[in-house]
This record gives sequence, structure tokens and C-alpha cells, in this order.
Amino acid sequence: MRLSDMDEGTGFSVVRVLIGGEVGKRLADMGFTEGANGLLVRGTFMHDPLQVRIRDYDVLIRRSEAHLIEVMPVGGNTEGFTNDTQEYGRKRQRHGFGAAGGWQKAFACRFGRKS
Amino acid sequence: MERQAAGKKHLHVALAGNPNAGKTSLFNALTGAHHKVGNYPGVTVEKREGIRTYGDLTLHIVDLPGIYSLTAYSLDEVVTRDFVLEQKPDIVVDVLDSTNLERNLYLCLQFQELGIPVVGALNMSDEAESKGIHIDADILSKTLGIPLVKTVGTDGKGTESLLAAVKTASLSGSSGKMPAYGAEIEACLARLEKLLRADVEFSKRYPPRWMAVKLLENDQNAIQKLGQSPRGESIRDQAEADRLWIKKHFGKESEIVITEQRYGYIHGALAEAVRKTPVEKVSTTEKIDRILMNKYLGLPMFFLIIWGIFKLTFTVGAYPVAWLESGQAALSAWLEQIIPPGLLRSFMIDALIGGVGGVLSFIPLIVILFLCISILEDVGYMSRAAFLTDRFLHAFGLHGQSFMPLILGFGCSVPALMATRTLKSPKDRIATILAVPFMSCGAKLPVYVLLAGAFFPDRAADVVMGLYVGGVILSLISTIFLRKTVLKGETTPFVMELPPYRLPTARGILWHVGEKTWQYVKKAGTVILLASIVIWILTTFPVPSDGPHTDEYKLEYSIAGRIGKFIEPAIRPLGFNWKIGVALIPGFTAKELIVSTLGILYGNGGQGAAGAGVSADATGVSADAAGNTAGLSAALRADSSMTPLVALCMMVFVLVMPPCFASIATIKSEAGSKWALFEVVYTLCLAWIMAFLVKSIGGLFV
Repeated sequence: MRLSDMDEGTGFSVVRVLIGGEVGKRLADMGFTEGANGLLVRGTFMHDPLQVRIRDYDVLIRRSEAHLIEVMPVGGNTEGFTNDTQEYGRKRQRHGFGAAGGWQKAFACRFGRKS
Repeated sequence: MERQAAGKKHLHVALAGNPNAGKTSLFNALTGAHHKVGNYPGVTVEKREGIRTYGDLTLHIVDLPGIYSLTAYSLDEVVTRDFVLEQKPDIVVDVLDSTNLERNLYLCLQFQELGIPVVGALNMSDEAESKGIHIDADILSKTLGIPLVKTVGTDGKGTESLLAAVKTASLSGSSGKMPAYGAEIEACLARLEKLLRADVEFSKRYPPRWMAVKLLENDQNAIQKLGQSPRGESIRDQAEADRLWIKKHFGKESEIVITEQRYGYIHGALAEAVRKTPVEKVSTTEKIDRILMNKYLGLPMFFLIIWGIFKLTFTVGAYPVAWLESGQAALSAWLEQIIPPGLLRSFMIDALIGGVGGVLSFIPLIVILFLCISILEDVGYMSRAAFLTDRFLHAFGLHGQSFMPLILGFGCSVPALMATRTLKSPKDRIATILAVPFMSCGAKLPVYVLLAGAFFPDRAADVVMGLYVGGVILSLISTIFLRKTVLKGETTPFVMELPPYRLPTARGILWHVGEKTWQYVKKAGTVILLASIVIWILTTFPVPSDGPHTDEYKLEYSIAGRIGKFIEPAIRPLGFNWKIGVALIPGFTAKELIVSTLGILYGNGGQGAAGAGVSADATGVSADAAGNTAGLSAALRADSSMTPLVALCMMVFVLVMPPCFASIATIKSEAGSKWALFEVVYTLCLAWIMAFLVKSIGGLFV
């Protein structure tokens, strides 16, 4: 699964960055390396760019870059001490704001930039 | 600068670290007020230098750019590593954000690999403690083999022990333990190192271990450097073979493998030295971000903040602007009394006071704008603004970080152009720099107000609004065009740290504002003064010996008048007569001068001539200005060649034409003379084309 396909408020573990070169190297340098745990905190209205928590700090990346990161969804506690966002995401889903498979994501998939 | 630290009185210290690690505040805490700001040779990367005495030692401290890694992909990173390799400072102090050691140590390792003594400053140690991160500096220091000192840059805690560590470390000259990359990669590295060491000269210049790692990382800059060695070719081939082998063996690119090994090494080191107590409560940053970064509320909040800044700038700023202007008027009146009428008086009042005064009256606005930007920057809101706007701007070939400069462009282009420094990729930055002048700045407003008020009395507000919106649309279209032509190429990845909100310190903010304002005064002051003297000469000489003694005739007789007549054929297709041509010339210095020049040309001289550059300030819309221009509006309407369509064309021309000299000078210092020249030619051509289009299309309807 790619990071760009993840739902907001869900944790993940990085499997690998799919390319090298400038983009891949930059992503790896910022901490997206095999086994690193993270959390997709939120996206904008168009699900692009995304706010991702990795190695205990937050980074903003575009969908096109998130698409280059292969991840494995991780339930429950992700690493770190601020799990509130995950809880927040679950609460949102319960209350029907539905980040999961939300229409924004569908919209972004349809009209967003593909790469 | 031979490294002979023992017994040396001077130490060259380079301060490095990640962005948002508190490097600047630590630099200020170390050097106090003793620093100077410049650029690294040949590039517009800011370089700060300061001096600190410690015992019998004089420390020359250089602040390196804030970076995450030492790749060859960004200018900042190349500048940093070249500085370390070529200037060979005695020691690197790496400022580490204690709340985020993993990523911060990643850079630290790379400095160690550069073979230079490194001291780590565990900065923001207070914040880390409150977040439940307990760092055992002694254990970590032993694992990494470098001295570590806990500091708090904002209040200068720990600087003394940091300096002590710097002194000791510079004596030892050791760069600590190198990270181990695992048996397979170490074997490759050893082989490459051996080859590199064979060329003694080359390995003296570039540490073989570092060079070997960079070659495996497929670092183009390092590969290029190999060209200096006669054995370069064979080493490059060996590295190429090693990279292919690693890719085959590990199943991913070698540069990714190296990065993963480094992170693995750090992870291991931290596992022993850092203990985390979970802090359950939702962080304040997260609470604020749920509103400010919200899908639906984020953008409205953003626009509210921007609106607030402009409101503050122009309402609060109006007072000091008014004081400065009345002061200038008093000074002019006093000079009029003591200097007899003639060239000297005209020079003093029109050129000197008019020119310098124009800059001076802008300062309060600039200070408030810079103050607001600095606060937003230090609080950490800028990257949030980039997050909210990137999707939209990226579609036009800009970047989320372009938004702030563009918005500031509505106030004044100079601070807007200076704000483009936050953009790290040169292409994004130049694209933004070229887009900023299309935002109608405060000085263009008086021109719009005058012309729209005179020729579209019922719909003046709509016309002015239309010009503002038109400018924005034009800037976006222009950017698409430039991205397809002169700024062609891949856009750089948008990978940006989102720092937690932090309370800014008053000292940091004031220091920042003072520095930026001084840069503005220096730049605008000298350039505008020079330009206003030139414009004064153009509009004054030659002085007619006979003919009617009106200001209008004098101006017609002057060089500017002749230029106006000379260029008339070129501007005729736009419907402009020579008078408009003349009025546009001072527009190159400052747009508000167009109004006062029109005042002279349309026989409304009196107040216009004396108050050139002063009568219309950035706020422009004041009742005073409107009163002054009532007579001028009537005179303009009486001119039969001035139709509403021509007035519209003129407004469009003013919107698009080259920005003021101060902006051009800023473009030159931010992007180089090539781009400053390009901007002038490009906007001049575009202004003509746009005005011509308006004239032709409008002509079909009138």
C-alpha cells in the first residue's frame, strides 16, 4: 500500500521508498526508511499535500511524493507519545466526518495530479 | 588556515544544524550584537559571522544555512559542505533539537564523516524534558564519540559549557566515531577508500572516507570533484560497479541503503541514551492545528490573518507616515525660505527631500509588515500557510511557500521579494520573484485611484478591484508561461518540516525586524536617492531661456519631455500621447510619481511639483490625496485624447510595467543581475502587449 492511499489518522510502518535520486533521497533523509513508524495526521481539502508524523516530528509532503512510499498499515499504538491524532481520527469517523474513504479522497483521486 | 589548534589564539567555528533547531537564537546568544550579515561568494545564501571571546581565545563563528542533510541537491547543502571542505573551520558546532534527536543526529553523523571535530549542542533541552524525553548526554556522547552539551538557545543557558567543550574538542581534533554501514557496504567503502588514498593530493583535499560514502550515494557533486584526480576515472568506475552490486544485493538504490544504515546506527545509539515517559495529553500544537490546519477552517483563518496584517499595517502605519510627511513638508517650507528660488532649491526639495522622503515615509509600513512576518515565521505559521496553499499554487508552477511573498506584494514589493528567501529551490524562488511585481503594490494605488476616479466615476471601485484581480491572474498565467520556457525543468519535491508552535522571543523578533529594515533602508535609500536625482535632472534640464514660464512648458522643454515626444510613436498604438509617455518615466523610480508628474503636465503643477513623491503615499486613498487630485481629474478629462479606454490602458500599463528601482535592485541582489534585466525587459514588453490588447479589444465595444 502507498502512503498516499492511507486514511487520515491511521498509523503505518514504512516498507520502502520506491525510487532513488533526488526525491527518494530527500524522503529517506527526512526519515522515511524501512521500519520507521509514522502516522498520516491530515491532508488538506484536496488530500494534497499531507501532514505525516514520522520519527516523532511532522513533515509536509505532496501526494505525488507520498505515492512513492510503500507502507504497511499499523493498528493501535504507533511509536511516540502523541497518539491523540489517531484517536481524533477514529472519533471523526465515528461521528460521520469520515476521513476513511471520504469523498475528498475520491475527489483527489479523480481530479488530483497523478504520478 | 592550517589546523594547529594547540596554542592558537583564534578558533574558526562553524555553527550548523537543522532548520527550526534554534540555531539562530544560539548564534545570537553566543555572539551578542557583534555580527555581520553577508552572502556566501557567488550565491544568495545568507552568511552571518560573529566574534566571541572566551578566555584568551577569539572565536570566529560562522552561521551555516539550516539543512537536513549534506546531499548535492540543494544549494544550502552544497554551500555548507564546500565551506567545511574548503575553509576548513577548526570545529563544527552542530545544533541539535533535543525533541527530535533522530533526524537531527542524521546531519551530525555527516559532519563527523567530513573528518572535522564536531561538538553537539543539545538545544531546547528544556522543551525536551517537558515533553518527557530524558537524554543521558554522557552515554550518548560516549556512543557517538563527540562531546555533547545541553543548551537552551533562547535564554543562553549552557553557552559557557558549550564554549568550554569547543575549546577542549578543538585541541583533540578528533571527529568521533564513524557510523558503521554493515559488513557488505564497509567492504565496498574500504576498497574505494584505498583507491582514494593512493592519490595523496586529492585525499588531503577531500577526506577519503567521506568521498567514498558520497560516491556510493551517487552524489553528482562528489563524482564531479573526482575529475580533479588523475585516477578519478577508475575510481568512478569502481564506485559505479559497487552501487550496482548494492542495488542488486539489497534490492534498493544504494543512496537509500546508506541512509537506512545511518538511521539504524542512530536508532541504536539513542536506544541506550534516551528514555521517554509518555505524556498523555494532547499537545497544544495539535489543538491549535485542529483549527488552523482544518480542511474547511484552515484557509478562511489564513485569509483572516492576512487581512489582519494589512489592516494593522495600514491603520496603525498611517499615523507615523503622516508625522513623517508633515515633517517633510515643514522641512521643505523652511528650505523654501532660506534658499532663493532656482536650481538649488528645486534640487534640494524635489530631488533630495522628495526622493529620500518617499523612502522614509514607507519605513513605518515596512517595519510593521516585517514585524508581522517575523512573528508568523518564529511562531511556526509559515509552513502551515504553505501547507494550505500548495495545492493551488503548485498547479501554476509555484510553491506553497510562494504565497506569503505574493500576498506581501500587495503592500510593497521590496519586503515581498526579500521574503522569497524562505524558498530553497532556485527555480521556485525565481518564479516567485518574477510573479511578485504583478501584485499591485501600495504605490500603484494612487495612480488607479486618480484615473479610475476621473474616467469611471460611477464604477471606480470595480475598476480598481478588477486591476488587482487582473494582476493576480496575469501573474499565474505568466508563471505557467515562464515555467514552460525560461524556468523549464522538474519542480523540486515538497518535503517540508512542520515545526511545533513556539512562543517567539521579543529579542529574536526585534533583532530580525531591525536587520531587515536596515537592509531595506540601505537598498531603497541609496537606489531611490540616486534614481530621484536622475529623474530630477531629466525633468529639469535643459532649462528654457525664453517661452512661457510655466512648469508645464519647462517640463515639455526638458529631456524627459523630449523623451516623451521621441517615444510617442511607440506608445501611440496604445492611445497614449507624449504627456503620458513623460509621466510614465518617473514611474520607473516610484509609481506614485506618475500622479505628481501628470499634475505638472496638466497645468496643475503647484502642489504636485513640490510634493513629488510625497503627495501620494502607500495608503494613497487618504482624503487629502483625493482633494489634491480633484483638479487634476478635471484637467485629464478635458484632454480630448484621454478617453476612458485610454485611461484603462494606462492603468493596465502601470500594473504590468517594470517595478520601481528599489524592487529591481532587490531582484538583482536576490536573483542576480541577469534576472533583474530580464524582469525589466519582460514586464516592459508584457505591459505594452497587455495595454495593446485592452485597447484593441476595448475598441470593438466603444
